[in-house]
Amino acid sequence: MGCGCHDCEQLMQPYMDGVLSEEQIREAQEHLERCPGCDKRFRFEAKLRHFVRIAVDEPMPAELKARLAGLRIAT
Amino acid sequence: MSEGAPTAAETRRIAEEARDRVRFEEEALQLSDQVYRVARRLAGSRDEAEDLVQDTYARAFRSWQQYQPGTNLRAWLLRILTNLNIDRGRRSQRTPEQTPLEEGDYYLYNRLESTMPDENPDEERVLERLSQNAVVESLAEVPHDFRDVLVLVDIGEFSYAEAAQILDIPVGTVMSRLHRGRRILKQQLADKAIGVG
Repeated sequence: MGCGCHDCEQLMQPYMDGVLSEEQIREAQEHLERCPGCDKRFRFEAKLRHFVRIAVDEPMPAELKARLAGLRIAT
Repeated sequence: MSEGAPTAAETRRIAEEARDRVRFEEEALQLSDQVYRVARRLAGSRDEAEDLVQDTYARAFRSWQQYQPGTNLRAWLLRILTNLNIDRGRRSQRTPEQTPLEEGDYYLYNRLESTMPDENPDEERVLERLSQNAVVESLAEVPHDFRDVLVLVDIGEFSYAEAAQILDIPVGTVMSRLHRGRRILKQQLADKAIGVG
């Protein structure tokens, strides 16, 4: 089960998105320092977000890139 | 007799416009990898993503003068792309509001950890329970309205305000869809890693 820190859990996503007020940031950081359970989950969330970004990355086919260049109107 | 000949000012204007147009097209093409990366996850398939990107660039090159220099060109291109995507009727069916929820943000971690033998596993070990395929499939299963926001913010790294502008929805809606979208994604991931039940 979780560590039961409901308020902290609520702050984690906005904290990572960088949209908290300075006071809320301080609150989140202080809690993370005191609570190893939340601290570990926070690290997990940050790594998960990175992993998702990498996992779904698919490079653009070179052939499409050439087609896009062919659409140019300017000469 | 000289009325057909352009004046010096006109010649200069035409030359400047041509130069601006070249610059616009070059800048747009430089962003194509990033545009495709987002398009690939907004669209259901690779073919669909390729068509979308191609149509986006065709439209962008035609209506380049509507772009305001100095503003975010990547967001401008994505705005065209999401509009084209909607025009195609991909989202003709509304996302049901009663998407099964609401698990907390720690739901995925807690479920993964609960299946592991160690008492207090390192978060890296917990993350390793997820495969790349599970992520790709789980994201594809997030309903469109939520997925659009999730892809723009978490994959495309657009700000809330930019995502709101691209999708033409209020910032508050971006935030609520993002919140739910992430939770839906986690639920899908947990089900795939552990099995439903």
